[in-house]
Amino acid sequence: MKLHYYPGCTLKEKTTALDLSTREAMKRLDIELVEPADWTCCGAEYPLTEEKIVGLAAPIRVLRQVHQEGGDVVVTTCSFCYAVLKRANKAMQDDPLKHKRINAYLRDDIKIDPLTKERTTGFEDYNGEVKVLHLLEYLRDAVGYPKVKSRLKRDLKGLSIAPYYGCRLLRPHEEMGVDEPDEPRIFEEFLGAIGCTAVDYPFKQECCGSYLSVSLPAAATEASYRILRSARMNGARAVAVTCPLCFYNMDHRQDAIKEAFLDFPGLPVLFFSQVLAWALGVDKEVLGLAEHTVPVDDLFIENRAAEERT
Amino acid sequence: MTAKKTDKKDKKDKRIGLFVCHCGVNIAGVVDVEKVAETMKDYPGVSFSANYVYMCSDPGQQMIIDTIKEKHLDGIIVAACSPTLHEKTFQEAARLAGLNPYQIEIANIREQDSWVHTDKAKATKKAVKIVKSHVAKALQNESLEPVKVDVNRRALIIGGGVSGLQAALDIADHGYEVILVEKNPSIGGKMIQLSETFPTLDCSQCILTPKMVEVSRHPRIKLLTYHEVDSVSGFVGNFKVKIRKKPRYVDETLCNLCGECEKVCPQVVSDEFNMGLAFRKAIYMPFPQAIPGTYTLDAEHCLGLTPVRCGKCKDVCDKKAIDYDMKETIIEEEVGAVVVATGYDLYTMQAIGEYGGEKYEDVINGLEFERILSASGPTGGVIRRPSDGQVPKSIVFVQCTGSRDTEKHNPYCSKICCMYTAKHAMMYRHRVPDGQATVFYIDVRTGGKAFDEFYQRTIEEDRVLYIRGKVSKIFKEGDKLIVWGVDTLTGKKVEVEADMVVLAMAMVKADGVMDLLKKLKIATDIHGFLAEAHPKLRPVESLNAGFYLAGCAHGPKDIPEAVAQASAAAAKVGDLFAQKELSHDPTIVPVNDELCSGCGICISMCPYSARSLDLERGVAVVNEILCEGCGACAAACPCGAAQQRNQTDSQIYSMLTAMLGE
Repeated sequence: MKLHYYPGCTLKEKTTALDLSTREAMKRLDIELVEPADWTCCGAEYPLTEEKIVGLAAPIRVLRQVHQEGGDVVVTTCSFCYAVLKRANKAMQDDPLKHKRINAYLRDDIKIDPLTKERTTGFEDYNGEVKVLHLLEYLRDAVGYPKVKSRLKRDLKGLSIAPYYGCRLLRPHEEMGVDEPDEPRIFEEFLGAIGCTAVDYPFKQECCGSYLSVSLPAAATEASYRILRSARMNGARAVAVTCPLCFYNMDHRQDAIKEAFLDFPGLPVLFFSQVLAWALGVDKEVLGLAEHTVPVDDLFIENRAAEERT
Repeated sequence: MTAKKTDKKDKKDKRIGLFVCHCGVNIAGVVDVEKVAETMKDYPGVSFSANYVYMCSDPGQQMIIDTIKEKHLDGIIVAACSPTLHEKTFQEAARLAGLNPYQIEIANIREQDSWVHTDKAKATKKAVKIVKSHVAKALQNESLEPVKVDVNRRALIIGGGVSGLQAALDIADHGYEVILVEKNPSIGGKMIQLSETFPTLDCSQCILTPKMVEVSRHPRIKLLTYHEVDSVSGFVGNFKVKIRKKPRYVDETLCNLCGECEKVCPQVVSDEFNMGLAFRKAIYMPFPQAIPGTYTLDAEHCLGLTPVRCGKCKDVCDKKAIDYDMKETIIEEEVGAVVVATGYDLYTMQAIGEYGGEKYEDVINGLEFERILSASGPTGGVIRRPSDGQVPKSIVFVQCTGSRDTEKHNPYCSKICCMYTAKHAMMYRHRVPDGQATVFYIDVRTGGKAFDEFYQRTIEEDRVLYIRGKVSKIFKEGDKLIVWGVDTLTGKKVEVEADMVVLAMAMVKADGVMDLLKKLKIATDIHGFLAEAHPKLRPVESLNAGFYLAGCAHGPKDIPEAVAQASAAAAKVGDLFAQKELSHDPTIVPVNDELCSGCGICISMCPYSARSLDLERGVAVVNEILCEGCGACAAACPCGAAQQRNQTDSQIYSMLTAMLGE
């Protein structure tokens, strides 16, 4: 079956590993991911002030496109895109004023036919019809863990992975509603379903430093260090993330972390989709492992069970 | 028992007097009171009309009394504030002038007019309409006499904590009989679990046990422990109570506390008295000074109450006190007043997941720490943490856990936590002199006698570190608990390592008694605490006549306050019992036998079970004492047989006609 999929710009340019592994994994579950035509950046950040609604135009334009293509559901894997799309969509359902203003603005949007270059305008209102789901949510609610389990090709038994939620996946709870914000289970359940051991550790929702990576790198270094250290102390072989920025802070920044904190020996960071794809039998070569700063090769070994025993 | 109707005058002959009150500027600022009085002067039925600055003042009342006598008035209307405030004042004035109090009408032109409007002309017009409607009603008012009823001078106290004990002792000392019902095996409540009490640090058990003994020995107190109130029916002065006696499986008159049964019992269960920090057997005595002094067999954890399954305790009992065949029984009692002193619970750990109370053994609540501090507690008063028995070298205390949080938890202040946390920290520093005590607080509230001095001592002499700010998260790293919080005085995030964390959990309604309160139909506030009749002027009475409130069932309070409230409730019960007979408001809804078809609709409408069907005559009958005059039946009656006294259909219709114009 076909499923609408919004990769977002970071996955196209910076972290192709997340994009590629997601597509490959979903193929193994008989799902072909289709991008909505003519999509743009979602804006990356949901407008933080009530009156600043122009930031909603981009995500709503994407969702309207999905709706016009007949899609009921759109999945994303990037936590930032997920948060922006889901919250913008909810605003269209719950906030009549925003609904009115955004539609008034987007009605005069111009569509250019890629072949004929013909310009059309005059769009129908978008009312929040599309359901925005994170891939983790889609796997849990639409595909179902039993089906995922039935397609597993590799045994990951004994591979301890620390799920890292970050800030965007769960909050604000009233709008995201994917899981309990204080005691989430979705990531743990997912890792359990594909045969891994999920590591419980107190830093799974703490901030990785986010954009401070740019303005105050030392702060991001320390924040990421504490997450990685806690995961390691609790027995994790790797941390799994859903967000390209978390990945950047925890993986690409790890040389800086080791330099600042001499006690830290390093810890691999993976995208959840890489682990999923691997468990479903996808070849190592298409998982984008070369993008990692911290080598992860050791984690992707064919005969894992035999290796663990020795 | 029946209301008398006297001097029924034809309404055309009635002479009505009108008194319009200025209430300073409260009314006169918006309503032209002089114009109202002037307009009504010639209104049909009105024989006298005047205005005055404060009708409720002594001269105001005297004016009413004199005018009634001089002008031979048959009814009066006071256009003033809400009848909930001064109806009684003016009824009394009328009575002094020889007029039946039920010939008084209060026209509310303050709350329902001057306070809610600004346009003077319109408000004045509205005042006139309101007054006219009351003239229409007053013309048809009947003179009524209160319904008289006897008082049963026995009191029921629900709950055997410090409040219940105090109320029981006071009422019994007034000379009245008391029945004290406690659902647990022993009296003592939460206070008996405490270690020392602030601000004097006297031992809680030492000051409470004398009261417990006094209650058990008092000739006028009937103590029913391990009993629960099942239902209360009837009305003030005349309640019928059903009390469920739970089987103790041990005859308390035979048990000599030899303790042999406890030794042989194979069932080890968590000990509630020690907040789960220790264990007890299925046959147990909650604590050494328990009253009554007897063992209790906890059927839930017993292997099966049959010699076939175990029977060890019965075998070793020399006194033959153990009886597996005891059954639950219902006792019936009759009382005149009920004191509700059902106590409180602590907010649960799972409600605040980020503090890890459920995950980490060493994150405990204040009551658990009381047990650890207590000389009779699981550690004999040595401060040891639950997980490994080590003496903690650093304890973090978190105040306002679940209190003062409008977003996620309870919006109110739990009132006692500031003081008991100071006490906890002080006692910890006394017993572990090299230990570090850190307190996170929002504000420190020490309003009470010698409270602030105590708190100052905690900081200055015992050098407890107070950090102003909330805690965001508690988690474990290695064998240390890490407490994350904020210091709002410096604006910095703080991280404190601790061996143990004590959470000052919010005080909340006691869940176990909510069903009972519903059955009693006793009013509660939005948090489930008992509601008082008036927040300032009637703080120990329930809105439901005959019910009195004491202790933390009414809201968070400390021991002296709970005791004071219990004594106040007892004094109020004394007031009630000192009366020869009680008067019941006669504005009830009788049945007109000739019109009643016996359909029974009114019976189903009545919230007070005051109405029943007389099968022989095929009509509804009303118990005048139970009827509260709510009027639900009058509205529902399809044939007009149920007419509320002085609020008949005809009166309401006349009022509407007068208000809306012919």
